[in-house]
Amino acid sequence: MTTNDFEPRIVAFLCNWCTYTGADLAGTSRLQYPPNIRIVRLMCSGAVDPVYVLKPLLEGVDGVLIGGCHPGDCHYQTGNYKTRRRYVALQEILKAAGFDEQRVWLRWISASEGQRFAATVTEMVTALKELGPNPMRETWAV
Amino acid sequence: MNAVIPVENGDVLAAMRGFLRQLLETGVVEALYVPLENGEAIVPALVAAPAQLAGANPLAPVMPINGARAVSALTNKQAPAKIGAVLRACEMRALVELVKLQQATLAGVVLIGVDCAGTYEVAEFVKRRAWGGERLSEYLSAAREGRDPLIEGITLRPACQMCVQPTPTGADIQVHLLGADLTRGIPVTLRDEIAARLGLSAPVGETADRAVVVEKLIAIRAQVREKELTAIKERMASEGGLASLFAACLRCHNCMTACPLCYCKTCLFKTAAFEHKPEHYLSAARRKGATRMLGDTLLFHVTRMNHMSASCVSCGMCTSACPTGIPVGAIFSAVGGQVQSAFGYTPGRSVDEPLPLITFLANEWAGIGEEK
Repeated sequence: MTTNDFEPRIVAFLCNWCTYTGADLAGTSRLQYPPNIRIVRLMCSGAVDPVYVLKPLLEGVDGVLIGGCHPGDCHYQTGNYKTRRRYVALQEILKAAGFDEQRVWLRWISASEGQRFAATVTEMVTALKELGPNPMRETWAV
Repeated sequence: MNAVIPVENGDVLAAMRGFLRQLLETGVVEALYVPLENGEAIVPALVAAPAQLAGANPLAPVMPINGARAVSALTNKQAPAKIGAVLRACEMRALVELVKLQQATLAGVVLIGVDCAGTYEVAEFVKRRAWGGERLSEYLSAAREGRDPLIEGITLRPACQMCVQPTPTGADIQVHLLGADLTRGIPVTLRDEIAARLGLSAPVGETADRAVVVEKLIAIRAQVREKELTAIKERMASEGGLASLFAACLRCHNCMTACPLCYCKTCLFKTAAFEHKPEHYLSAARRKGATRMLGDTLLFHVTRMNHMSASCVSCGMCTSACPTGIPVGAIFSAVGGQVQSAFGYTPGRSVDEPLPLITFLANEWAGIGEEK
């Protein structure tokens, strides 16, 4: 597979109130962005258990995006503050354990930020093309 | 106050037993968690009858379970009576974490913290049951001088060789086994009223400089720790990485069972969430060419890192429990250490220090997530 042929696969965990709605806005505004993303809707980014991020990563997905409301705007007040701490811990664990922490992104994208969503996906696909396929694609003994 | 447990005829163990017996007989505690000799082995026990303390051996350098777990089982929301617990440094640290995780309480518990000069693997210890005589004497000398014991054919557990916190903090009674000639008396620090109840008095004459000895021991251990953690991090970062480290994993979950901090009654990995349909395995096999059976072996370990590594106290029970010799403790200490640094958190240091993953502020790590 040449770098040109490689299409990164991204799994996204988006919060219902902000990012998912923002993604929907990108759609209704007919904004163009790469189709590499598969979205899982959660009610809050604070509901993202690290295992949801780790499972696809170990299966070989190239990137995982966690999307939530900007801090201070969480529909449930403090959910995203927890997301932020968990993300910091997860990044350290990925780094220490020899995985590529650059494959897991956390972005605060609000319901009105359709363009930010489209831009984020575009940016992520470009970055992942640069990183190449997740080596875990070839690792079957997980 | 500082006091001394008198030792007769150089019999340190008898003196310790006498001391523990007094705690029970004078009502300082109503029941005592302490290891008891049982045949070839040392068995952790809750003792209610002073007579049973004739077999107590908190000096035996072996740790079949992490005592924090026992104290958690004995207290939970409330201790049923005045419980005493004889704990090593790492057991105390694990207990502090469990208290913060709401799995134990310190109210009504008398903590007897004992310096630890290191422990041996249970199987090794049981094989060499003649622990008296030369071996014990060398072990006590090592404790006095602040170095690892040199006993032929047996080495301390890897976690002990790299332990940089051999002295417990925050105990009601602290037994100072390091840096002293124990045959002449066992130095302890305890509340004045307990000392009075037990009839203990302050040490007479010169006392050994414990701090210097402890520092010396920690310096030796710190070098080993640095070396081991660097080595394991390199292995994790190398070709194959974590997957190759856990290639021999049997999925027995002994590491989780032995870990004092894994308190979940039902691990996520034993629930329906991980009961996959046959099609799941087949599609994974088709996608990657092959798939490990049974699934989610590595995922279990990385998830466990996420769930408890912030509180990992490096007791090494996991490595001791692993039947295939995977250095689980080194891996979790390395990963845990990195998470702990990121949060400026030291597990086991204080009950008042909040757990990093259940604490959060409105304004912190402000740059994360806001990238344009």
